[in-house]
Amino acid sequence: MIKNIIFLFVCLIAIISAGCGRKDKNIITFSVGGAPNEIAVWEKLAVKFEAQSGIKVNVLRQPTDTDQRRQGLITPLKSREEDPDVFLMDVAWLAQFAASGWLEPLEGYSRELGIDPGVFFDRVINLADKYENELVAFPVYIDGGLLYYNKDILFKRGYKNPPKTWDELLKYSLKIQEYERRRNPNFYSFVWQGAQYEGLICNFLEFAGSNGGGIVIKNNKILLNTPENRKALQFMRDIIKKHKISPPNTFTEMKEEEARASFQQGNAAFERNWPYAWALHQSFDSPVKGITGIAPLPCFPGGRSASTLGGWHIGISKYSDSKLNAFKLIDFITSFETQKQFALELGWNPGRKDVYADKDVLKKLPHFSGLRQVFENALPRPNLPYYTQISEIMQRYINAALSGELAPETALGKAQQETRKIFDRYQVK
Amino acid sequence: MKDTTLNEIKESFSFILPLVLFTAVFIIVPVIWAMFSSVFRDITFLDKKFIFLGNYKYLLADPGFWQALRFTFCFTLVSVPLEIAFGLVFALVLNEKIPFRGLLRACVLIPWAIPAAISARAWELIYNYNYGLANFLCMKLGVCDAPINWLGTNLGAFMSLIAADTWKTAPFAAIIILAGLQAIPEDLYLQAQVDRAGFFQRFYKITLPLLKPVLVVTLLFRTIDSLRVFDLIYVLTHGGPGGNTTSLSLYGYKYFLMGDFGYGSAVSVVLFIIAFVLAVVYVKVGNFSRGIRI
Repeated sequence: MIKNIIFLFVCLIAIISAGCGRKDKNIITFSVGGAPNEIAVWEKLAVKFEAQSGIKVNVLRQPTDTDQRRQGLITPLKSREEDPDVFLMDVAWLAQFAASGWLEPLEGYSRELGIDPGVFFDRVINLADKYENELVAFPVYIDGGLLYYNKDILFKRGYKNPPKTWDELLKYSLKIQEYERRRNPNFYSFVWQGAQYEGLICNFLEFAGSNGGGIVIKNNKILLNTPENRKALQFMRDIIKKHKISPPNTFTEMKEEEARASFQQGNAAFERNWPYAWALHQSFDSPVKGITGIAPLPCFPGGRSASTLGGWHIGISKYSDSKLNAFKLIDFITSFETQKQFALELGWNPGRKDVYADKDVLKKLPHFSGLRQVFENALPRPNLPYYTQISEIMQRYINAALSGELAPETALGKAQQETRKIFDRYQVK
Repeated sequence: MKDTTLNEIKESFSFILPLVLFTAVFIIVPVIWAMFSSVFRDITFLDKKFIFLGNYKYLLADPGFWQALRFTFCFTLVSVPLEIAFGLVFALVLNEKIPFRGLLRACVLIPWAIPAAISARAWELIYNYNYGLANFLCMKLGVCDAPINWLGTNLGAFMSLIAADTWKTAPFAAIIILAGLQAIPEDLYLQAQVDRAGFFQRFYKITLPLLKPVLVVTLLFRTIDSLRVFDLIYVLTHGGPGGNTTSLSLYGYKYFLMGDFGYGSAVSVVLFIIAFVLAVVYVKVGNFSRGIRI
């Protein structure tokens, strides 16, 4: 008996210590995540890169969930681990990672290898990839909110073009919904992301931005409770609660995939989503294949269409033990060929401008020509290391306004009051 | 105990040593580490600075913390009694000589054996607005004409979480209580039958008093577990709507994610203190110092 226990114990120790193998400086560890098909592409790319450069890449797989991916990076970085050497980051964490001193400045490497940051979208490089004037990351792919519409459903009610203003969207929706409901009780004209998570803030910034509002930061003070924002939030709530053109579960369950599924099944005429939905709406078994259109999001009278800048970026850990090799991988991933492959295989929107003019890409993905303009004007979220804290508070109050618990004015007032405390807490050096 | 030899003492120490070591390495060290971390401004993007009770001062004025504390207390206060009540009923039934008793006992344990994150996903599908089982049944049975947004109101989300948690953990209570029931000597009941005591008299005069230590242990386990509820909420509501179902551990976790380790630790330490105080109270009430006597 005791012998057995000792034997098991020894086995356990052997298994645990097997995980701590010796480190080889020539191998770079690359942390990726996402859906299984995306991870498969990363693994394929790693093999291709190895064959080209002779540098071995160890692909570290992370889950799909964005928060978990972030946690999976914060833990090794906080404890100054040598691995991972190079990793993907959501645009919303870039400032936190950069301000924590976890990202290696890339300017020197890119000069050395002759990479011109000018091939990427200027706005993205300047507003997202630079922190305090230092280049710390490159865009792998970028995102912006778009309006998808079902051409068939619109055409049946006599609408040839998508709505340009929110009032038009509301008018169209009410008319469409009245008709579609006769056959489909689950029909709600307009789906978007209203659950309590980061996506809600992206949506809010688009509604508010198209009314000249948003998160205003002036003299180290945050301004949220403005007439523009109040009007936008009131509208978001009205389309759920009053006009009922958005489903009642908008503020509880609606994230990207829920909205996509609803639109794809023909249960909605309009959908706000990221560009990734396009490829899925057009897939061979999709009921909306061939009848899906995309357009810039509508705006309020006197405003301009606004699209929140999203996307994933690649950077090198300050604690990496093979930075130059890691940069060679970045060079490979941001090269024209690889970025084109992303567009063709995954429908991703590359951070490089030149891919949008490529013939093969435009042939397979004709909507790319219009996307370039959306990305050139996309609105970034505040580039602050404590942006998540601000977002967290805003999510809580905006969601409470959508659920009807708080009036929009109260919600924005409280959010503003609470976010100001965040500034006091995190600003001091 | 006169004949306790030095060897016997040594031997008993060797028995408890692994437990002590395990507790020290995996529980005491992290707790002390968290306490240590909570007196610093430990924010990844700012210089580390000793601020003593600064994080706790901020915590007292933080509405998000109070919201999380209130929710955690309410959740524990409602879910634990429900779980114990259901567990007791299950245990009493499973203690009777009913057909397929072994099979039933195994079946009852299934919800407990499923990892919380997975059962939470299952409940997510049940509560789903469009194609969830709950709405399907309600509509079919004519309870409601339009689908209900279960997780959309504060009360709805709260009750949905309670139902999911009770379903999952009542079996745990049942198994512990069942073990307690089996330890009650059969002759006591035979004696009572001779004295013509009815079913309820037997339950109140024999079962319940003799079950008390086991019930207290179950209560202790369940209370502490319930205070630190995380996975169920992380999957099912993510703290919504409007942050009204954020538990303390989810709240602390969110701060770790934002890089504010000091504040996240302070939230964890508060949670630890609450759980610790409750544990001490339970142990006192349960009179464990006198040992469990049957």
